[in-house]
Amino acid sequence: MRNGCDLTAAASDIALVRGRSKGRSFDRTQRLFYWYCLLPALLVLGVITLLPTIYLILVSLTPLDLTRPNTWWNFSNPTLNYELLLEDRRFHNSMWVQAKLSFWTVLLQLVLGFLFALLLNMRSSLLQALRTVFLIPMVLPPIVVAIIWKVLYTPDISPFYWAFKAFGWSVPALITDPNWALTAIIIADTWEWFPFTMLMILAGLQMMPQEYVDAARIDGASPFQTTLFITLPFLKGVLLVAGLFRLIDSIKAFPLIFILTEGGPGTVTEVTNYYSFVQAFSFSFLGFSSAITVVMVAATLILSWIIIRLVGWGGEDG
Amino acid sequence: MFSDKKARRRSVLKGAAATAALGATGLYAPAVLSQTRKFEGTTINGAAFSHTFSAHVRDLIPEFEELTGITVNFQDQAFPVYNQQADLELSTGGSALDFVNITFIFSGRWIGAGWMHPLDDFINDPEMTPADWNPGDFAGGAQASLQDADGNTYGFAWEAGAMIMSASRSDILDEAGVEMPTTFDELVNVCDAIHNKDGVAAFVADKLHHWNWIPYLMGFGGKVFKDPPGDLTPTLDTPEAAQAAEFYANLLSSYGPEGVLSFTDEQALNAQLNGRANIRTQAIAWHTPLANSPDSKVKDSVRFALMPGGPAGNFPGSNSHGWGIPVGSKNKEAAWEFIKWVMSPDVQRRIAIDQGYSAVTRRSIIESDAYKTQMTFGGQDVASLYLQVLELGGKSGYMKYRTVPVFPQIGDKINKAIERVATGQQNGADAMAQAQDETISDFRKAGVEMDL
Repeated sequence: MRNGCDLTAAASDIALVRGRSKGRSFDRTQRLFYWYCLLPALLVLGVITLLPTIYLILVSLTPLDLTRPNTWWNFSNPTLNYELLLEDRRFHNSMWVQAKLSFWTVLLQLVLGFLFALLLNMRSSLLQALRTVFLIPMVLPPIVVAIIWKVLYTPDISPFYWAFKAFGWSVPALITDPNWALTAIIIADTWEWFPFTMLMILAGLQMMPQEYVDAARIDGASPFQTTLFITLPFLKGVLLVAGLFRLIDSIKAFPLIFILTEGGPGTVTEVTNYYSFVQAFSFSFLGFSSAITVVMVAATLILSWIIIRLVGWGGEDG
Repeated sequence: MFSDKKARRRSVLKGAAATAALGATGLYAPAVLSQTRKFEGTTINGAAFSHTFSAHVRDLIPEFEELTGITVNFQDQAFPVYNQQADLELSTGGSALDFVNITFIFSGRWIGAGWMHPLDDFINDPEMTPADWNPGDFAGGAQASLQDADGNTYGFAWEAGAMIMSASRSDILDEAGVEMPTTFDELVNVCDAIHNKDGVAAFVADKLHHWNWIPYLMGFGGKVFKDPPGDLTPTLDTPEAAQAAEFYANLLSSYGPEGVLSFTDEQALNAQLNGRANIRTQAIAWHTPLANSPDSKVKDSVRFALMPGGPAGNFPGSNSHGWGIPVGSKNKEAAWEFIKWVMSPDVQRRIAIDQGYSAVTRRSIIESDAYKTQMTFGGQDVASLYLQVLELGGKSGYMKYRTVPVFPQIGDKINKAIERVATGQQNGADAMAQAQDETISDFRKAGVEMDL
């Protein structure tokens, strides 16, 4: 009997080991299968993303100037562009302008997006119909948005300015006034992109279980308290993702600045990518421009990492 | 037999005569005919910045297409946009464009970097360019920026720009009891007297300050470079430059229409055409529409004059823009057909005389009675103003600063500095000192040797 038990136990041990071995083999096969599936996509991603980035970094180590052929692949002083950046006041100013633009546009777009999402989440057929209208600015080509605002901000052709004039009000031309030019860009950018954050937050709101709100109400929470302690924490992840998207996009702000102000007056609205564009395409300093771009990429990555570390991704406990 | 011989001789003579006639015509006519349709089916792409001349060219393109069978895709864009796109396209040696405008401030850069194709082979080949096309007819001053140091030609000028002054509403000057200003001091006094009278701003300018401001800089005794084109040390941080910056910025901020700092050429022209802004100093092609455009509401009140001079003299800007062929073009000969046709004496005469284009570059047209008649507005001889400016520019060579390869870099710094002064962000001295520092930094990147 004992022998029989021993044999049974031994057999079951063997079966277990075999099972584990089969399981491990299956896991390994499954992992390999996943890798095989991913490989083409990773290769494509590497070719279209990684190689240009490596090329960008290499170019940033040269003084490449398109009008001087001897500057191609000249690595005699690879840190020169970065040393020049350290003492370039216009570059420093562009970073500061970028920081202001990003802060205000992301903040305003999150706040407005949240408020409008709360509004559109109400059960009303009129508001349901209005959702599409609110999305229009976001689906317009950025250059069209820039032209719309160029017309609105240009006193001799703007209906706003005609109205101001009719009332006898003297309003400065916002895009040529150093105190208002950046605000003018922020207003236009917010108008264009708050529907994006609104859409994401609205989707998040519609995922929120009604029981949370009902329970809070039973406990006597006011609508404000419900929003602050139930809705906002639930949307933490959505807000973070929307904010990150907008932050990264704000660093890419170009059409509005190119059409509305060309970075002016002076350099009041000259953000870093516009400065990089001027260096590359007005002066042909591709090496220097690449160094600016490398710094921008690094800054964006670091900033995104810090925000994710600080705020977290939200999630089920959110 | 005799009659046979006679008949044969007649036949031979007839045949010989016919052969001789065919041969004689064959030397010319078939060549012309073959040239005319030689590129049938070819499509060429061209680009330039928006200008009254571009508009005339666009109107004439169907005629060229009908004549040659060549299809012409022509796009014109705002001045800075065109320059940026053309600069990028040329720098890559791409073949997207077959003919381009060689912008004055980029001529040194584009020709110097070898991005433009020399046209001498085309000009000197009688099969490609008939003698009566006469390249020597183009004003030498206008052609100077389109040639390299060895005398090779890279383009033909379609504009000989000469900066003059106009007052679209001279009736307001008359009512205020002031004359057209001849000095900088008078200009300020006149602006003071007429500003916002009848809702009209006294002064208007487009945002290309590195063109509009330089005559004021030189009028105060300043310079852009120490001694161009040999010594490109920038000289923007001088007291004269600071004074000129404050003077010009004051014209814009005190007497310009709201938002003038963002005005393009077209906006400034429209402000004058509609009588919303009065005085402007700019190249002649931007003034004559005030007198001859169907859209002008100021035809009866426009007045022209030489631009005012400063304590150091009078330095009205002069420039030239010309057609050229990018080195990467795959249709160079067809592109030359187009340039040759559009710059031919006949087409140039039609654009100048029939369309009223003023900044023409062929001497035979400038000196013609028809042009002088065309350029006389309300008894004002604008043609003579034009020639005076061209002579001033050619005499001392003060425009050499503008065709050096690194002008785009310093031009950008000047634009920004004038904006900073006009908006009160900095005073003239600080703004120009900053412009000087930034220019030196950029010139170092470009490998320019400076005497600092």
